[in-house]
Amino acid sequence: MTTTPLHQIGASIRDLLVLVPLPMVRVIFLALLAAVLLWVLSLPRSETTGPTSEGRSGANLKVGASIALGMQLVIYLLL
Amino acid sequence: MIDWDRSRWSRLNDRIVESTTLKDTLTTPDYAIILLYLVGTVWIGVAIGRRIKTGTDYFLGGRRLPWWAIGMSLVATDIGGTDIIGVGGAAYTHGMAVANFEWIGCVPAMIIAAFVFVPFFYRTGIYTVPEFMERRYNAGVRTALAVCWLIFMACNLGIMLLASAKMMSALFGWNELACVLVTAALVGFYTLTGGLAAVVYTDAIQCAVMISGCLLVTGLGLYEIGGIEGLRAQMPDPEQTQLILPADSDSPFPWPGILFGLALILSPAYWIGNQAIVQRSLGAENEFAAKASYVWGAVLKNLIPIIIAVPGLIAVVKFPELADGDQAYPMLVSTLLPVGLRGLFVAAFIAALMSSIDSYLNSAATILAIDIYKRFINRNADERRLLTIGRVTTGVLLAWAIAFALLLTLLSEESGLYAIFQTLMAFFQGPALAILLCGVFWRRATGIAAFIGFIAGVMFSISLFALTQQPILDWLGWAPLFEVSEPFLYFSVWAFALTVALIVIISFLTKPEPKEKTRYVFGQFKRETSEVPA
Repeated sequence: MTTTPLHQIGASIRDLLVLVPLPMVRVIFLALLAAVLLWVLSLPRSETTGPTSEGRSGANLKVGASIALGMQLVIYLLL
Repeated sequence: MIDWDRSRWSRLNDRIVESTTLKDTLTTPDYAIILLYLVGTVWIGVAIGRRIKTGTDYFLGGRRLPWWAIGMSLVATDIGGTDIIGVGGAAYTHGMAVANFEWIGCVPAMIIAAFVFVPFFYRTGIYTVPEFMERRYNAGVRTALAVCWLIFMACNLGIMLLASAKMMSALFGWNELACVLVTAALVGFYTLTGGLAAVVYTDAIQCAVMISGCLLVTGLGLYEIGGIEGLRAQMPDPEQTQLILPADSDSPFPWPGILFGLALILSPAYWIGNQAIVQRSLGAENEFAAKASYVWGAVLKNLIPIIIAVPGLIAVVKFPELADGDQAYPMLVSTLLPVGLRGLFVAAFIAALMSSIDSYLNSAATILAIDIYKRFINRNADERRLLTIGRVTTGVLLAWAIAFALLLTLLSEESGLYAIFQTLMAFFQGPALAILLCGVFWRRATGIAAFIGFIAGVMFSISLFALTQQPILDWLGWAPLFEVSEPFLYFSVWAFALTVALIVIISFLTKPEPKEKTRYVFGQFKRETSEVPA
């Protein structure tokens, strides 16, 4: 079987990725989710609330988004 | 879902052995529930169809769709009938890591899409993602993307019909050809009559039925084995409950593929660029509803692995000696559910498959009508004409899907054609995301660069796919390029990277786009527009 430069590049990347410890990988996954959550929380109110109508205040989508991402953080923390 | 197991679809029925089928356990109350569900679905389609008067009504539900229905439709579209069995089977064989496809492979991308891309597309007033490509780039990029989606959706319709029919035949003992024809007739009827609105409302019901049926299986299964603690204590291999697997794992889901291929490329490509997904948010009653639908879908997504993957783990405890993981879910259903409730699961299974087929049928018809007919054949087509064309194209696509499904039954599964058709989306998802992101966020990206980058990226994906095929490797005398068993996650990463590189290089070598094109760059368009569609 012939190996090409493409195979060598692939093998080098694979060797590097194998060196990353799994606890570090978990931190990366959690950091990705936390970054999205922080970004959502930092969005201006005008981007996340609906039009208000007679006597009702507009719902804020930050709540739903935070629930979805919060559940993800718990899941990736525990499993 | 972003199908990690596409290449397995066609093999499913051969591996679900007779002993695990439900055909002998369904009784009159079960059939009554199934019939009730099917009649209800068709009735909704007819009721909605009466109110369809224009092309906008047909393709975008008249832009009157509520957020909750769209959110449930997003989830239902994403989970096909074969996914319920296939994901449960994958969890049985490979463990909980398959849940990544529903969790980190969906939720972050859906939230980002909700607040960035969905309102952006909504304000442009487009019908299709390819249509946006012409506004930002040129007709060539639009047509290339539309053709890719059309080929994928048209082929996928046939594959979904056949795969679902094969599974129904294996599980319930029903005639395969009859399953193809009856499914096509039912889905075709309400999709053709009611367009996107019928698809979204029936999907919402299908989502509720699917979640109820599968939740029942999960709940009863967990109760039998002593709850979550019982499940953890009795799992023979603790790695099977892990979401994150080492880079050198034997599983098809090592973490680099999940993080780089799935979470960063395929997932955003799917939730931001997939016409079948994006189209329903464009039909929302307002911009806020469009955003809310994605957020609601993301909340629901957290539940999906619990109801379709966890049963696979329950089966590991209850039936550790199964010959194949795909027997896991049917086995649980036939042993756990009492008479009547088995009918609910069958309805859930049918709901899952119908909700995927109707969405692809409607979206393929939209691309054909808007990106091909209206763009190249009749630019002045009015709303009534578009409605007629939408219904005709839906009918034609349905006929094609049936014919293609029947044609596939004649092909040898070893011919390799199955694998090619089922990997089609992985060929162009990475390049499609690259041209979309460059166009939306980089003013200097040009139409020529996007067109060349897209075509080259797709060709590159196909080449990588070819280099995983044993006959080609034997002919070249090469070792396999990828060591993982399902390398399509990696195709998308490399194809995305190549496309971005080409767009950057060629853009600097070509003339900048005029203002009417660059106004569709994110920041500028946001400043220029209010909530009223342009």
